[in-house]
Amino acid sequence: WFSMIKGLVGEKKLSAEDLNPLIEKMRENLILKNVASEPAEKICQSVVSKLEGKVVNNFSRVAQEVKTAVRESLVQLLTPKHRVDILRDVIEAKRDGRPYVIVFCGVNGVGKSTNLAKITFWLTENKHRVLIAAGDTFRAGAVEQLRTHARYLNDLHKNSVLLHEQGYGKDPAGLAAAAIKKAAEQDFDVVLVDTAGRMQDNEPLMRELAKLIRVNEPDLVLFVGEALVGNEAVDQLVKFNEALANHASPGQKPRLIDGIVLTKFDTIDDKVGAAVSMTYITGQPIVFVGCGQTYSDLRNLNVGAVVHSLLN
Amino acid sequence: MVLADLGRKIRNAIGKLGQSTVINEGELDLMLKEVCTALIESDVHIRLVKQLKDNVKKAINFEEIVGGANKRRYIQKTVFNELLKLVDPGVTPFTPTKGRRNVFMFVGLQGSGKTTTCTKMAYYYQRKGWKTCLICADTFRAGAFDQLKQNATKARIPFYGSYSEIDPVKIAAEGVEKFTQEGFEIIIVDTSGRHKQEASLFEEMLQVSNAVTPDNVVFVMDASIGQACEAQARAFSQTVDVASVIITKLDSHAKGGGALSAVAVTKSPVIFIGTGEHIDDFEIFKPKSFVQKLLGMGDIAGLVDM
Ligand SMILES: Nc1nc2c(ncn2[C@@H]2O[C@H](COP(=O)(O)OP(=O)(O)OP(=O)(O)O)[C@@H](O)[C@H]2O)c(=O)[nH]1
Ligand SMILES: Nc1nc2c(ncn2[C@@H]2O[C@H](COP(=O)(O)OP(=O)(O)OP(=O)(O)O)[C@@H](O)[C@H]2O)c(=O)[nH]1
Ligand SMILES: [Mg+2]
Ligand SMILES: [Mg+2]
Repeated sequence: WFSMIKGLVGEKKLSAEDLNPLIEKMRENLILKNVASEPAEKICQSVVSKLEGKVVNNFSRVAQEVKTAVRESLVQLLTPKHRVDILRDVIEAKRDGRPYVIVFCGVNGVGKSTNLAKITFWLTENKHRVLIAAGDTFRAGAVEQLRTHARYLNDLHKNSVLLHEQGYGKDPAGLAAAAIKKAAEQDFDVVLVDTAGRMQDNEPLMRELAKLIRVNEPDLVLFVGEALVGNEAVDQLVKFNEALANHASPGQKPRLIDGIVLTKFDTIDDKVGAAVSMTYITGQPIVFVGCGQTYSDLRNLNVGAVVHSLLN
Repeated sequence: MVLADLGRKIRNAIGKLGQSTVINEGELDLMLKEVCTALIESDVHIRLVKQLKDNVKKAINFEEIVGGANKRRYIQKTVFNELLKLVDPGVTPFTPTKGRRNVFMFVGLQGSGKTTTCTKMAYYYQRKGWKTCLICADTFRAGAFDQLKQNATKARIPFYGSYSEIDPVKIAAEGVEKFTQEGFEIIIVDTSGRHKQEASLFEEMLQVSNAVTPDNVVFVMDASIGQACEAQARAFSQTVDVASVIITKLDSHAKGGGALSAVAVTKSPVIFIGTGEHIDDFEIFKPKSFVQKLLGMGDIAGLVDM
């Protein structure tokens, strides 16, 4: 009778049916943590295929197995495949005798201009001189917003920042080109180009952004996305990349999004799923995390802490 | 348009139910699962989705409903009613009164579209012949006063604000006082973006509210918001007397389901939606015709208790 019991509760190959209820729970948890449906589904699928057929000798530990497998998937997804090292690359560009250029893009109101200012502060703390290009020539107050930041930042580090502005209504691609030229002439180390917020379905505005990037060939294209965003994160990133690809110069390798700035991380408690959605779509690293409204509220992504929040 | 994709999915799920000859509980579950998936993909808060599912199941007692056709109709009706509850809290929205002062105070998370939407609403009432004005009580965000000033100037709407004063409570109180004396009817107070995690920001919001005693506190939500909306909406409405919701940026691909959580939590109706960056990208929101559109049905009246 011992062997009979063993047959019932002992060693067992995990089947999809065994896994389904647990996976369902896991999916629900990921969604509650604000992971978009598509990546949540993909993560669950990968865990099923990883565990199906696996022999377990203690059935009560299946839940643990699932959790471990999900953790592994998440860590792998969130760990950058390559490092974006801005400080190193700025110095390299300087050696080549040219400014290092970063373009900030994203949908409306996510925190492009504010985090551009925070990154400026970080660069000036590292002894770099920064030229900001006021490339949002559309939204009311956008130029004055950056003018105010430039003033504050210069108060903190004397003569470290210059704003290149041409008022409203100008072509941002030409404005950025003029800014880069000015930076080269006046020995600025970095040019940060602000752009107007735009919806990913707005064809003329997406074309305008693609032109700015095509014409100016920046060193880094950063997509700014807020941690508050839900399923829309997927569509935003897919379509920003598509627009950049579709409007690239013929015969040239298109410039896509190189990295992500994840903002408003301080507003979401443990609902950190947007980090997963954004890296899942782009495969690009989260270069900065914005976690507040002051200049020092800029961090690196702590993969361990994010995964912990997701699984709790 | 808004939630159109969701509407299609829900219609499909319910339509499938219509095709099968017998409806059993398994079939109902399948249909509900599809509806719930569609809602979750639209960012509706997962707790609300579960609630909807439970309510439908509770309302449907299989033994008691007789006949296939009746059963089908009854299930449809139950699902529709629950959907309607999501977008319509059943509260009559505040309506301003002519000839006296009506103070609106705009609150919301950072970057949700408050300043832009303030001007849109002022412009909307101005065109309808109201004496309308704007107050910038955001002294925190860089360029906030310039933004409101430029918007207001373009729309020829009188405004009040300051480059030097740093206390938003003072500006708000002074502005409302001034415009009240001048006989303005619609006075709109714009405030800084804030979030529940920073208590001092919520305290400031409460103080502004106490200083201007608004007739209508408007909570402005971005359509792209996900699962974090519910907790934020709850915190806002626990601090000030939120009475209306405006959902912005519905010109995106976002379905606005996350923002709908704010309706359930604050028990406040959506009064307008924002559909673009320009001043007239602004529409009145009517929950009933919205659900009609959502479900793509003309004869909904008989089907839903409205
Ligand atoms: N809590 C919090 N607020 C932030 C963060 N980053 C930006 N903000 C706020 O978000 C709001 C919008 O920021 P902006 O920098 O103007 O956003 P934007 O993307 O440039 O906006 P547009 O140019 O209008 O598209 C402001 O109130 C910022 O203070 C962050 O990390 N945390
Ligand atoms: N596409 C689109 N953009 C919008 C809409 N409403 C507002 N915006 C844009 O969203 C961004 C943020 O809007 P604001 O009005 O500055 O937001 P806010 O809530 O006042 O921001 P803070 O004061 O920093 O909290 C701006 O770029 C606006 O042009 C809309 O309905 N559609
Ligand atoms: Mg900006
Ligand atoms: Mg504002």
